[in-house]
Amino acid sequence: MSWLRIALRNVLHDGTRVISTLLIIAVGLTALLVGSGFMLSTYDALQEIAMRSEGHVSIIDDTPDPALGGAHQQLTLSHWQTLQADLWEDERVVRVLPRARFEGMISKGDESAVFFGSGVDPKEEFRVHGPFLRTDGILNPWLTPQETPDVMLGTQLARTLGATTGDLLILHTQNRHAENSEITVQLAGLYHTGTPDIDNHSLMTNLTTVATLLDTDNISQLSIYLQRREASTAVQTFLQNRLDGVTVQTWYQRAELYHKVKALYDRIFGVMGLIILIVVFLAVSNTIALAIHQRREEIATLSALGSSPSRIYANFILEACLIGLAATTIGMLLAYAISNAINLSELMMPAPPGKTEGYPIFIYISWPHYFITSVTLIITVVFASFIATRNATRVSIVKGLS
Amino acid sequence: MDRRLELEAITKRYGRDKNSITALQDISFTLFAGEFLAIQGPSGSGKSTLLNICGLIDNPSDGDYYLNGVSVAQLGVSERCTYRRRDIGFIFQRHQLIPAMTVYENIAYPLLLNGVTPKQIRHDVNQLLDTMGLEHRRKHLPKQLSGGERQRVGIARALIKRPQLVIADEPSASLDHQHAHAGLQLMRKLNQAYGASFLVASHDPFVIDHCDRKIELLDGRLETPA
Ligand SMILES: Nc1ncnc2c1ncn2[C@@H]1O[C@H](COP(=O)(O)OP(=O)(O)OP(=O)(O)O)[C@@H](O)[C@H]1O
Ligand SMILES: [Mg+2]
Repeated sequence: MSWLRIALRNVLHDGTRVISTLLIIAVGLTALLVGSGFMLSTYDALQEIAMRSEGHVSIIDDTPDPALGGAHQQLTLSHWQTLQADLWEDERVVRVLPRARFEGMISKGDESAVFFGSGVDPKEEFRVHGPFLRTDGILNPWLTPQETPDVMLGTQLARTLGATTGDLLILHTQNRHAENSEITVQLAGLYHTGTPDIDNHSLMTNLTTVATLLDTDNISQLSIYLQRREASTAVQTFLQNRLDGVTVQTWYQRAELYHKVKALYDRIFGVMGLIILIVVFLAVSNTIALAIHQRREEIATLSALGSSPSRIYANFILEACLIGLAATTIGMLLAYAISNAINLSELMMPAPPGKTEGYPIFIYISWPHYFITSVTLIITVVFASFIATRNATRVSIVKGLS
Repeated sequence: MDRRLELEAITKRYGRDKNSITALQDISFTLFAGEFLAIQGPSGSGKSTLLNICGLIDNPSDGDYYLNGVSVAQLGVSERCTYRRRDIGFIFQRHQLIPAMTVYENIAYPLLLNGVTPKQIRHDVNQLLDTMGLEHRRKHLPKQLSGGERQRVGIARALIKRPQLVIADEPSASLDHQHAHAGLQLMRKLNQAYGASFLVASHDPFVIDHCDRKIELLDGRLETPA
């Protein structure tokens, strides 16, 4: 015999009302958990993309060099080889990738298109993107310094040119001295990221090809990949304090797409979450108010027996807690089952803004997240019952008994 | 003898001005410790109104009354609640058992409210269930009981905490003669065992005959001077 037992009795006694309340809370929680699980995994994927494409920490030189022509303002980082060698000494660092960005026209026969190119260290470059950059039909060897230099194209750019692997193409640009410069290259393969800016216009080639074409050893960016992403800020601060004349940024500072999508999704899921909480709040306070109306004779009896208003209050809130606890347990199990089913079903996530296609759908299942969301919901339920019970104990006992 | 309850010119009016109904007018009487007092009167004479005031669940419009010598008018809401919890037992006409709770739990409830230990609760409730011939019903819900059984549970719930004052509003009204008789005898037995004062409203002559003393209400006034 305890208050808990009495609360349990009342909850079980009131079957249909309890089941409907239970369902509303459970379904609301399931929606919250699956929705936010989707949101979190999208953030995670976008962070992953940002880290993989930019490196955890980047070194750039953003002071314009008046000696360079307009087409070369992206190639400002000089003497990077010593920097790279130094960085390899740091045990926190796994990879240091140079990237030389340049742009111009690419043509095959009569077809030509604008390109945004990167000179890269190919062996490493194609490893760091992981599942976010897929390659297709690659020649062997590829992107190595050879007699006829070669390039990799974004799939869509190749399609625009009507080019297939093995074709010869011409790159036209201006070199460091603002003179026209061109080079014949072989198409060594295609790659695909799902980001239209990249797939439609980008190409990659060996750093040496860029150096030949543009007559400079400069690059745009040194991307540093670390053992642990958590070290990003520490390494950034460390390098910024040690290096003069360059800017050091973390992936987070450079992850434009991630920040845009996050801002949008935060708003969407924030509104969705708020709506679910409001629905739960209204449904629960409504059913509890109804139940209290039906039980006003019981409330009057308990008052006559000497239950204080706060005691009666506490009993109703205990009942709400039990319902909330049972409902959130059901909701969590439901969300867990649905999330696993979705994760196993190999569905694709809808493409986030700025992407043309989704990636394999994945719904985050994290117990701390489940716990926090459930507690938020239980607090909502208790608050709703608090509001609904507030006036119930003020009714006169005599009226309640008659 | 100790004065358990002392009423001085209690008046209760419902409504205001011209339309007001005077349910009780100038009621004064004394209930002594251990006394079994009947309140008699026809329907609408004000019996329930008087009992509600005596049981501290309603307030008079005028007059004051004393519970164990303490002026009730001076008591705050929570003090009245404490008196009801510790010292007053209610037996309701319609029993008012809590539908979700078993017989055992209904009877144990006042002890739980008073913070009695679980062990003591088990002991007291089992003993009273025995006394009242309800032990085979302990796990049943009120809706599974007969009217007479419900009344016995209602009496047990009022008496389990051994209150100083028991208020019973027509405890036998919904029962046949045999059950009413049994219920009354039970109350008397416990009155003698515990020495609680009883205030019993009834228009059943059988009940009234078995009380120590009776007062009579008519249209809210006391007919027999106390
Ligand atoms: N809330 C109320 N508002 C107005 N009048 C009321 C109210 N409660 C009771 N009365 C009136 O007060 C008078 C006394 O009522 P009360 O219920 O005390 O009578 P009673 O003796 O208990 O009657 P019964 O034997 O039928 O239970 C009646 O005239 C009744 O109409
Ligand atoms: Mg009455």
